[in-house]
Amino acid sequence: MTDTIELLDKLIADLKKSGGVESCAAVSRDGLLIRSSMQKEQLAESFAAMSATMLGAAETASTELGKGVPNRVIVESTMGRLIAVGAGPKALLVVIVSPETGLGLILLELDKAANKLKELLE
Amino acid sequence: MIETGIPKLDEFLGGGIPKGKSLVYYIQPGVEGEVFGLQTIYNSLKKGDTGVFVVSSTIPDIIKGQFRDFGWDISKFKDKFFFVDAYDSLIGAPSNEKYVVPNPDNIEAFSKIIISAIKELPPSTIVFGSLSTIIDLCGEKETMQAVMTWNKMAKIYDHVLVYNFTAWPYSEESLKAIKEDMFNAVISVGGIAERVIFGQYFGILKADWTTEIKKSMLFRVLRPGGIKLYIPKILVTGPFDSGKSTFVHALSTRAISVDRLGTTIALDHGHVDYKGFSADIFGTPGQERFDPIIKLLSGESMGVFLIVDSTNPTDFIRAKQMLEITKSYGLPFVIIANKQDLPGALTPEEIREQFDLSHDVPIVPVIAKDKKGVYEAFEVLIDKITGGL
Ligand SMILES: Nc1nc2c(ncn2[C@@H]2O[C@H](COP(=O)(O)OP(=O)(O)OP(=O)(O)O)[C@@H](O)[C@H]2O)c(=O)[nH]1
Ligand SMILES: [Mg+2]
Repeated sequence: MTDTIELLDKLIADLKKSGGVESCAAVSRDGLLIRSSMQKEQLAESFAAMSATMLGAAETASTELGKGVPNRVIVESTMGRLIAVGAGPKALLVVIVSPETGLGLILLELDKAANKLKELLE
Repeated sequence: MIETGIPKLDEFLGGGIPKGKSLVYYIQPGVEGEVFGLQTIYNSLKKGDTGVFVVSSTIPDIIKGQFRDFGWDISKFKDKFFFVDAYDSLIGAPSNEKYVVPNPDNIEAFSKIIISAIKELPPSTIVFGSLSTIIDLCGEKETMQAVMTWNKMAKIYDHVLVYNFTAWPYSEESLKAIKEDMFNAVISVGGIAERVIFGQYFGILKADWTTEIKKSMLFRVLRPGGIKLYIPKILVTGPFDSGKSTFVHALSTRAISVDRLGTTIALDHGHVDYKGFSADIFGTPGQERFDPIIKLLSGESMGVFLIVDSTNPTDFIRAKQMLEITKSYGLPFVIIANKQDLPGALTPEEIREQFDLSHDVPIVPVIAKDKKGVYEAFEVLIDKITGGL
């Protein structure tokens, strides 16, 4: 119980340490914030709700069109990127990275963390 | 009777803690529990009582700083608020407090000071900042013996004794005695991991002056603000254009909506701080083409507002359907009869008839546009969620 919470905090802290990550959050599929490390902590809850809706909408659109479950949603802007990945049936992980961050490494880290989160919540 | 100042707890305790009684906050390690004692003493000072705070785990100035962090100004209670300093002597520092324990690791010395405070002061609220620290310094058996004496004396002198106790792995029998025998009331403060809700809760284990209510409440600790009851999700749903987004904004301290061309295409999200509650509000879209999103958002709600446009009875079928889509049956829900300002708006009773709703479903008249009735509606739903007292 308290162990799960501790492990979650570690997972989020580790992800936050990855190069270029400005904010990250573990979010339930239905939009509740599980744990986060955000630059603007007071926005964490609404950020969580938005991210879950975004990924959910993308997954529905893609599967309905017969293109399967998407691996991730990437939102690009000149100020940086927002990346959301599913982490099993209960949760997803979202990060915000700075614009100069290379995609390759962070995607790898994110997938690894998503796998861990999935296992943690099983 | 003194009030703890912890939202809902006083109600659950039948009004608060009667004079002469003792209460322990039984805190799981790793949970932010010490604030319970602080909030209780601040609240009774505010009500005009005399207060004593027994400091064991740090210097009194740090505790005073904690009060400030919560936004609680204790300076105005100078002549009614005293510290028992059971820390400074440990580190050989001088103390400016009214009561100083010369050897905090010796229970007799400790007890002598507590007992003189008990005898000298008018009926007061005496809060022990950390009973566990006293146990660590003075020993389990010795401390428990002393606590029983203090509790007995408090009865005679009409004080209320409140203890913060962190349940470290002490002996089984000590923990059992603390939980079951030594105090008039035991409030357990712990952490939960339920599905995806990871949070902190409190609940009454025992209260011998009232038929205790075995309800647990989630809480959060805000600085400033202290303990707020936390409701992670309240759903706002209802047919197209009924005023869901307007309602979320009217109720919330801050809110955002993903609206395009005047309709919600993703969600509204708002945060409410009201009467000791901290709640996150999720508004759904209304149009049928967004039903997948409505389903996605509705999981794990603790309560539901169903918003209907009171001038538009043809929508009521869709409204009922939305209760099904969101799996709201079985959850506490309140119907919001919105747009009461418009001509032809049906009254709540007319809506009840048209909807064929039983009498225990509350229907609240609201003008979301003018923020009229939104807080009344919030209170009705909160009462249903917390067990309606
Ligand atoms: N007269 C009146 N108009 C209202 C009231 N509440 C909302 N409205 C209006 O009703 C319209 C719809 O309001 P919204 O809050 O966007 O409704 P909604 O339910 O979120 O709509 P969708 O998201 O599209 O389903 C807007 O034009 C509001 O100004 C009210 O109490 N009285
Ligand atoms: Mg809307």
